[in-house]
Amino acid sequence: MRVKKSDNISDRWPPIAWMSMVTLVAVAFVLGFLVLGRYRLYAPTVNVWVAMCRSLGLTPDLGAANEPQPTPQTPTSISWTTGTLAQISSGDKIHGAFIALNCTACHGEAGISSSDLAPTLAGIDAAATFKELADYRSGKRLWGVMNGISAALSAQDSADVAAYYASLPGGLPVLTGRSTPASGRTLRETDSAARLVFAGDPARGIAPCASCHGPEGYKLGAPALTSQRARYIERQTAAFAQGLRGNDINMQMRTIAKELAPDEMRAIAVLYGGGAPQ
Amino acid sequence: MNRVSRLALCHYWVAFGLFLPAVVLGAWQMLMRSPLPAPLDDPNTYYISMSLHGTVMAYVLTTFFVMGFGYAVTATSLGRPVRGMMAAWVGFALCLFGTLLAAAAILAGRATVLYTFYPPLLASRWYYGGVLLLVGGSMIWVVLMILNMLAWKRDNPGAPVPLAMFAITATAYLWAWSASGVAAELMGVILPAAFGATAQIDAGLARTLFSVTLHSIVYFWLMPAYIAFYTLLPAAAGGRLYSDKMARLTFIMFLVFSLPVGMHHLFADPEHGDGFKFLQGFFTFFVVLPTLMTVFSICASLEIAGRARGGRGLLGWIGALPWNEPMVLATGLSLVMLGLGGLGGIINMSYAMNSMIHNTSWVTAHFHLIFGGAVVIMYFAIAYEMWPRMTGKPLRSKAMARWQLWLWFLGMLITTIPWHIAGLMGQPRRVAIFDYDIPVVARTAALVDVSVLGGVVLLISAILLILVLLRSHLGEKTVERPLRYALAVVAPTRLATSLNGFALWNAIVLVLMLVAYGYPIGQFLFVLKPHSAPAYNVTRDGADSD
Repeated sequence: MRVKKSDNISDRWPPIAWMSMVTLVAVAFVLGFLVLGRYRLYAPTVNVWVAMCRSLGLTPDLGAANEPQPTPQTPTSISWTTGTLAQISSGDKIHGAFIALNCTACHGEAGISSSDLAPTLAGIDAAATFKELADYRSGKRLWGVMNGISAALSAQDSADVAAYYASLPGGLPVLTGRSTPASGRTLRETDSAARLVFAGDPARGIAPCASCHGPEGYKLGAPALTSQRARYIERQTAAFAQGLRGNDINMQMRTIAKELAPDEMRAIAVLYGGGAPQ
Repeated sequence: MNRVSRLALCHYWVAFGLFLPAVVLGAWQMLMRSPLPAPLDDPNTYYISMSLHGTVMAYVLTTFFVMGFGYAVTATSLGRPVRGMMAAWVGFALCLFGTLLAAAAILAGRATVLYTFYPPLLASRWYYGGVLLLVGGSMIWVVLMILNMLAWKRDNPGAPVPLAMFAITATAYLWAWSASGVAAELMGVILPAAFGATAQIDAGLARTLFSVTLHSIVYFWLMPAYIAFYTLLPAAAGGRLYSDKMARLTFIMFLVFSLPVGMHHLFADPEHGDGFKFLQGFFTFFVVLPTLMTVFSICASLEIAGRARGGRGLLGWIGALPWNEPMVLATGLSLVMLGLGGLGGIINMSYAMNSMIHNTSWVTAHFHLIFGGAVVIMYFAIAYEMWPRMTGKPLRSKAMARWQLWLWFLGMLITTIPWHIAGLMGQPRRVAIFDYDIPVVARTAALVDVSVLGGVVLLISAILLILVLLRSHLGEKTVERPLRYALAVVAPTRLATSLNGFALWNAIVLVLMLVAYGYPIGQFLFVLKPHSAPAYNVTRDGADSD
């Protein structure tokens, strides 16, 4: 059916639509920015201007505070900024190999330690080495020898030696973050160490070790533990638990280690380091 | 089979072909997180499965289904071939290629970031590239829908655009607006990090951009269901559409009100002040209007049909309706789920009440009930209605189709009602394993077990769906019946310009989006100090050398 042009029909919709929209926006604005911004249950009632700022999320505490602030207590001086990551990835292996001549006495010639006091470094994540060296340098992690050695290294030296050890084969496996589906990685796992490693213990707030330290799981700054020396792992876990070591950025290791019983620490350490030459 | 039918069928088959494995994954996930033993109980696998389930259900099933539906509606409602068939096939190929890329990245364990990406988590660039291709390919569809409507209007000056075409064009505009958020997030924030141009991700900005998509995408999924309510259901029930004008207003209101409201997904985000959270939460209430109008319209249309079929008395018309028709049955079941889910949704979007259920299983239950239930059951009904018209082969077993719909409905209720309750009890969502030895968690164990049963029922229903479609597809070819759209009681012969096109409404959407999102997005660029976080690769090789 052919009909007349619709232009002939008076179109009342534009004014109705625009007026409704303006009304709606105005009502929402008054409620959201004036009423809600002005009257708060647990905050003082403020004037219109401050109310609008408060509703935008611009509150006075966004600016610099006038009161003297206590020095912040930080677990480490490293944060994973673009600059840090760029410096780590710019590490020069060849220069690193030269620096590493200073490390072989304790960490082994091929980066594979034969001492329970020193960890295996071959294959270790470059970010982890870089951060630990920085923490030794700034005194955030204490171990006499390492505090002395790290003080002689610049940040770039640390990146270089980190790149060198990351490239050494035969030690710790490279963590990919990718995993192959496998059964028995939940709380139904009967072996308690394997259960802690793969499923953690939610009741105690323990995340699975494997999600950061592998096998397969990977998180920036966390070293692989498979093939690490079992006694070294156990000692570090205990150090976190007792507050002797506290350079974990988000306090995750201190929190988790405190919850672990000594025999659990040992069982986990053996599960990870069982394959390492002892 | 004509060319448009082949095009639409290819879209439908991709949608439903991937739907079935995604339901299998969903059922396994239910089992995995329950106290019952599950095969392959591995939390990493859970997140692979969950990312795949979400990506397929939210992006693949929906986009392919809506595109196929759009082409079929264009051809049948305008009564002429779709213009731009070549471009349509290119769009199909792009979407399919993107889907395969994304799926491969997830299956390789390199994209366990769930379908909403969770920046600053960073997955393989192939995953994001795949999703972007899928969204980009669907933009070809958007352009084709708009061009086909404009071409028809040019050839039929002054005539009202058929309601189904008007509605699918509203859907196209809605999707274009909606997808702008995820496209901006991917191209502006995530892909630069995935390609190594930057090591930092501004998670707040990324989440805010995604919120533009996050709510309106649901209405994009929903639109085919509403189009079926208005244009297919009254015909299937043997009646007439109560009001054509009201239908148009409904689709317009969906376009306008589903967009400037996404920040009700960000109520707990610290970057935003209260003002805009409240403003968008307030706008969200108005999305209820078109839904209420629809419920009214549909009931009125069904009453017209019921009375025409001899129903008498106050409620006698309900019994007189042809409930054995899959379309009528699905609508009834869909409206029940829409009602329950909608009430839950009002709690989600209320600024104060939201904090009760934020990040709990309640939310998962809500969107499964609304989308997986109310919307997807209409996808089934549309498939049952359109398959015979497109293939020329009648639906072989209506009884089996009815079973399938009932099972889907019951399965979805059995799954989501316990889930809602567990959410209220504090069960968090997106968690692979629960320790049911903890007393507070143990209280949810029975509820989770019941919802596993629902998952099994849903799986049976999904298998039935594919069986019904396959059996019909392999059946005898009989005479083709054209798709019939419902006539309105008073069919419009002339319409005001504003109800026959989208210029005014797009202008209003633009202004509302500027009001609602101008400051919340702009503050990241001009007001807040830079507060990006390092991108967190979910796999070592996620963003580095692939």
